[in-house]
Amino acid sequence: MTARRDPPADRRPAAARSATRTDSPQTPARGRVLRLGERLADLAATWGTTTGRVLLGLVLAWFGYHELIQPALWTGYVPGVHAASATAIALVLAHGWVLLLLAVALIAGIAPRAAAGLAALLLAQIVIWLWASAGLSDLTLRDVGVLGLALCITSRTEQRFALRN
Amino acid sequence: MNVRIGPVGPRGLALLGVTAVVGVVLANHGWSTYHGTTPGSLAGGPTAQVASTPAARPAAADHSHSAQPSSGPSGSASSPGPLLSSEPYAQYAVQVWPGPQTTAAQAALTGLTVKVRSVAGGLSVTAGVNGQPAAAPHLYPGGVRVYVVEATMGDDSGASDYNLGDDGLVVTDARGRILQ
Repeated sequence: MTARRDPPADRRPAAARSATRTDSPQTPARGRVLRLGERLADLAATWGTTTGRVLLGLVLAWFGYHELIQPALWTGYVPGVHAASATAIALVLAHGWVLLLLAVALIAGIAPRAAAGLAALLLAQIVIWLWASAGLSDLTLRDVGVLGLALCITSRTEQRFALRN
Repeated sequence: MNVRIGPVGPRGLALLGVTAVVGVVLANHGWSTYHGTTPGSLAGGPTAQVASTPAARPAAADHSHSAQPSSGPSGSASSPGPLLSSEPYAQYAVQVWPGPQTTAAQAALTGLTVKVRSVAGGLSVTAGVNGQPAAAPHLYPGGVRVYVVEATMGDDSGASDYNLGDDGLVVTDARGRILQ
């Protein structure tokens, strides 16, 4: 495991950065709030991508596992195939297998951008199918949000806790 | 192996390999659950088959006193079981018969088709999934109540219910006892 972080312009702790500011006088309470906010911003900048990556991996793992264990419950999502057919079962199993691989890759940080990119493709397919079959609904928009997360992770070059050579 | 989007070391490949094997084992298990019909689905099965699905979230799965008929697709109900209200999935049950269709009932029926008709000697209940062949009707004595169990609406969209694992159909007598 290696841990790398985004190269910030100022690597000093948030408290130190805040202490050197001379722009305006601050009340102690306001200063504490600002320092806390900067610390939280630092934390989010440092761990946000990793957190999103792991959480996306957990989502994919959950769906992949259940598709593999009980494929018959998910055949309703397979477009153009009768839900009770063996073809639908096989497609769900294949989909679940891919999801499981992508989940492990995302959680462990194995080529995370590639995994997130593939996850984005799968999610885009799901969103398009749901949109085409049932229109824009809460279900569709929920997946749009997950798709956005996958795209965001795909775009990030720096990853903490990524399994490399 | 290095690709432009990031390196994949031997440990990563090993982990992916193990995952792939585990996935195949799980898929083999999943395939073994397939018997030509859709378990847990209303498609092509007895009226209340969903109530006995192993995946039914509201614990309808593990209960033997669902509305599942004991004598095949056109069987009739027998002795009543426990009170529906005493079942853990009661909180997810929405009455769809008799009475006016409430908003909750309409939402619970998303993707499903439940038909109740008066016939000689009782009521005929037919349940199915939209877009799929309806199951054979089941006969129940008069005065029964029909409930749809829907644990979560999150898998319902438009007129489709994409995951039938959390759906069920329960028929009770007038006192609320589940008919077998």
